[in-house]
Amino acid sequence: MKAAKLFRCLAVAAVFVVGVVGPAQARDLRININADPEMIDPITMSALIAGDVLRNVYQSFTWVDENGKVLPALALKWTAHPDNLGWRFELRPGVKFHTGRPFGAKDVKASFEALLAPGSKAGLQLQYLQRIVGAKDVQDGKTKDLAGVKVVSDLVVEVRFSATDVLFPIYPFLFFDTQVIVDKGPNWFMEVSAGTGPYKFAAWRRGENVYLQAFKDYYGGAPKIDGLRFIVVPSEETAVTMYEAGELDVLMVASTDLARRVMRDAKLRAEAKTVSAAQITYLGMNQNLYAPFKDKRVREAFCISIDRDAMTRGLFGGLAQPLYGQITPGIPGYNPAVKKIAYDPERAKRLLADAGYPGGRGMPPLRIANLAPFRNEVAYYADQWKQVLGVTVDLDIMERATFLRSLNAGETPFFSWGWTADYPDALYYLSQVWHSKSSFNRARYSNPAFDALIDRAQVTADDPTRYKLYHEAEALLLDDWGTCGIFVRTNVAVVKPNVTGVTLAPMRMLPYEKVTIN
Amino acid sequence: MSAAAEVLVEPTGFADFRRRFVGTPSAVLGFAIVAFAVGVALLSPWIAPADFSRTNMAFIWEPPGNDFALGTDALGRDVLSRLMVGAAVSLTVALSVLAIALVVGTAAGMTAAWRGGWFDAFVMRTADITFAFPDLIVAILVAAMLGPGIPTVILSLALVSWPGIARLTRSLVLSLRNELFVDAAIVCGTKPATILLRHCLPNIVPALIVRASVGVGFVVMAEATLSFLGLGVQEPLPSWGGMIRDGLPALRSDPHLTLAAGTALGVTIIGFNLLGDGLRDLLDPRIRER
Amino acid sequence: MTAYVLRRLLGLLPVLVAAVVLTFVANRFVPGDPITIMLGDQGGNAVLERKLRSEYGLDRPVTVQFVDYVAKLAHGDFGLSFRYPGVPVTQVIRNALWISPSIAAAALALAIPIGIALGVVAALRRNTLADTGIVLVLVAGLSIPNFALAAFLVWGFALKLGWVPVAGWTSWRHAILPVVLLAIPAAAYLARLARTFMLEVLQQDYVRTARAKGLSERLVVWRHALRNVLVPILTVCGVIFGGLITGTVVIETVFNIPGLGRIAIESIFARDYPVTMAIVMLFTFFYATINFAVDVLYGLVDPRIRLEARR
Repeated sequence: MKAAKLFRCLAVAAVFVVGVVGPAQARDLRININADPEMIDPITMSALIAGDVLRNVYQSFTWVDENGKVLPALALKWTAHPDNLGWRFELRPGVKFHTGRPFGAKDVKASFEALLAPGSKAGLQLQYLQRIVGAKDVQDGKTKDLAGVKVVSDLVVEVRFSATDVLFPIYPFLFFDTQVIVDKGPNWFMEVSAGTGPYKFAAWRRGENVYLQAFKDYYGGAPKIDGLRFIVVPSEETAVTMYEAGELDVLMVASTDLARRVMRDAKLRAEAKTVSAAQITYLGMNQNLYAPFKDKRVREAFCISIDRDAMTRGLFGGLAQPLYGQITPGIPGYNPAVKKIAYDPERAKRLLADAGYPGGRGMPPLRIANLAPFRNEVAYYADQWKQVLGVTVDLDIMERATFLRSLNAGETPFFSWGWTADYPDALYYLSQVWHSKSSFNRARYSNPAFDALIDRAQVTADDPTRYKLYHEAEALLLDDWGTCGIFVRTNVAVVKPNVTGVTLAPMRMLPYEKVTIN
Repeated sequence: MSAAAEVLVEPTGFADFRRRFVGTPSAVLGFAIVAFAVGVALLSPWIAPADFSRTNMAFIWEPPGNDFALGTDALGRDVLSRLMVGAAVSLTVALSVLAIALVVGTAAGMTAAWRGGWFDAFVMRTADITFAFPDLIVAILVAAMLGPGIPTVILSLALVSWPGIARLTRSLVLSLRNELFVDAAIVCGTKPATILLRHCLPNIVPALIVRASVGVGFVVMAEATLSFLGLGVQEPLPSWGGMIRDGLPALRSDPHLTLAAGTALGVTIIGFNLLGDGLRDLLDPRIRER
Repeated sequence: MTAYVLRRLLGLLPVLVAAVVLTFVANRFVPGDPITIMLGDQGGNAVLERKLRSEYGLDRPVTVQFVDYVAKLAHGDFGLSFRYPGVPVTQVIRNALWISPSIAAAALALAIPIGIALGVVAALRRNTLADTGIVLVLVAGLSIPNFALAAFLVWGFALKLGWVPVAGWTSWRHAILPVVLLAIPAAAYLARLARTFMLEVLQQDYVRTARAKGLSERLVVWRHALRNVLVPILTVCGVIFGGLITGTVVIETVFNIPGLGRIAIESIFARDYPVTMAIVMLFTFFYATINFAVDVLYGLVDPRIRLEARR
């Protein structure tokens, strides 16, 4: 009797233990993110981490593969209007939202209207809507109907512009089922998932993880895994050790230090994926704020004092390439024939002396601003300028918000900063960073000839003609030493060998649509 | 012989003190470590084998060897030179913090003990309030507020260090007030300031020395922690805490970076703590840490 | 006794008031504007900026903001987070609320017996090799910064030996390394105190008397000496607990534990005033509460304290 009872207890215990330890049936893909996403809804989306997560939940007309090629997503076909002031989209049939409702032309219009609604804190997508006819009226609350977007049929939608926008089809929109706002209120995104992507939002435990669940009715076929778990790991050191201990399937590498470490470790290197990033890094020299920068010779002297080859080989351990122009390789419009910037200390010294500052004498105090994660890079530049030019440049390591505000206000005389492409076209770099009318022209560079070329390119639909205009504009900018390209980072991610279908692209990770875990 | 007499370090007792000190191996070891660290810090401009800020892209993360005794860091800078200059940086910060905390703390503590009343209440409440905040959080808040850099580190750490000294001073002076020699001075009509400085201060100096030598360890560690978090000493100046943080990404492949800075930091703090313990045992076994 | 407890409770008030005022002021002087962070690259959008500012009440005079903050605080409302727009602070810290105090309490519980045992043993064997050895270990335990030690322990115990998980916070095993790391300096600190107090007590008249009476050494130590060591040790537990809570800031960052310490650091860097203020308030509250408890206990065991406090 007693023995039977004991046996029963043991059996229960055994079942319990097996149940807990059990054969690992979890088929979630575990990925590190270095902070919580700032937001989880498609309207306010404006940050890289949120983008990494939401890319799997929400989709646009098109998507871009790892080669920078634009492929159909929610739109199957898109044609420009003959007057070049509009686009007609034929949408993919049979697409279902996570909410169960079908996706159609009316949802494109409704998504745009939700973004433009007065009082909506729309993120990155907002800038892509500005040229649509009637966008301003919706934003000002004059009407709720976006006049420039016409629902032709269930699956055909036409968009009209007040000024040509040749790149509209490749903008990364996040279409969603706007009915959820009516049903669940403004904070709907914490309760339901309303995208069309391969995964649906399931849970967000702040500080711990974001969980996305496979969407069985995905038009491209249900994902072969149960879900994606984005684990919040602020410390990179911790992230590596977690990966090595099998607590992560994909290790996203954010910093140069970690990237280099990964490549020095034979085991990690074998599992690493690398691709040149769609991100430029340049020196911003504001000619209005620091008088010597008005002199082209000074700008050139600072620029050619940096040994790009030694730096990308040494500091980056090969995980970067020298950047001579202002467009990254692989982005349509890139000019492979752009002139190399050679490291030339003798010429740099001479130029500075010619400009009236022999050996750096007479230069007013100068500080270069940047953020803590990039202090190694600026420490190298500063040492080069000290050694080559005899100019002491102090490091001004700033706090992120202060730095960004000062950059956006055009109040930083000298800085090192980058710009990441959001869609695959060279215009993204040239117009946003160097056009005098752009608020992201943080060095406040102003060159009417350059502006004119960009303005023309913006309304040129023919790709080869447009690319030629890019090349001319870029050459103008470079010859004037208005900018100083330094390097292009290499994106690095480490993926467990039993995982397939993970693709690292210049613009970060592609959606984890086809992932399998063996 | 009264208990108070034991506390006094008579001028004639110095030889005796030295004899006992030399007889305490841990104190001697601590003294040797501290003396070595101070020596390196003072001489660093002359004995450092290389320029601590000179980068070299051809020698990134070199292992320790002939060219670089302790290898190089992520920018190809000589780790040994950076360690030596780092000693000077750490000790400068620590000594400045202690100097401020000692002056402010002792003055506040003595005055509070002697005057009592509202001033005492005020100082002790202020101290309580400062104690009520976790030290590191306060230091981090202050550092974030003022922006990183050496003056910030000194200020934020002094801010959290003085109340402990004020409390210690106050309690010591309070107990001294009941001593015969203080009563005698009062009866003689000696001014309070004179009594405090001439009669009380010498009696509490041993306790303050002990407290300070233990405090140095804390301050060195706190500075390292702030620098580790990126809120302390800034590039291109080296700090041991910053060097540990910079070395962590390469812990497995190049442990020498973290090890060298970690060892320098650990051993220096051990040295100060051993010295402090030794001095406490020798000078006054009754002193309590508060 | 009631009067004493009440007096101590009243003494807490200025501390809490100061905590409210100081955190408010400190956060407002921190460079970096939270609205700029929220705007991100939308920095030029003046309409949106005005709207956000008024939503968060940051367009009002600072004094009004403060009064409003205190009024809401009284209702347990810490306002909205800056980092997660529209999310209440209480929701941001809810999951984390008990993590840091639990880790600190576990570390304290581990440190007290180990610390006292080491300290007493060292004191009883004063000036022997064992004493010197223990003292050196204690000094090392106090001296090596936990962020450096953490790296080596993770490497050894998590990676090489695989005994504990590397990081995270999903099972009790994740707590082992963080708790041990936090407990090491606390235990060393306690041991040093215990050793000092024990040495002192052993020289006291009543111990000499007890010895002279011919009581066994064990009885002398456990009955007479240790008791008198425990009382002063009790008083420093509040300070130690405060140190442990502070320690969680670094430890939680290293071990990826979603506790208050890590959120505090992230919030400070992200200029999330409301969350920072709430956490500093909570830390202060934990700390003040435990100090209060210690004071009351101390008053219970030692009537002289009650009397002295009345002066």
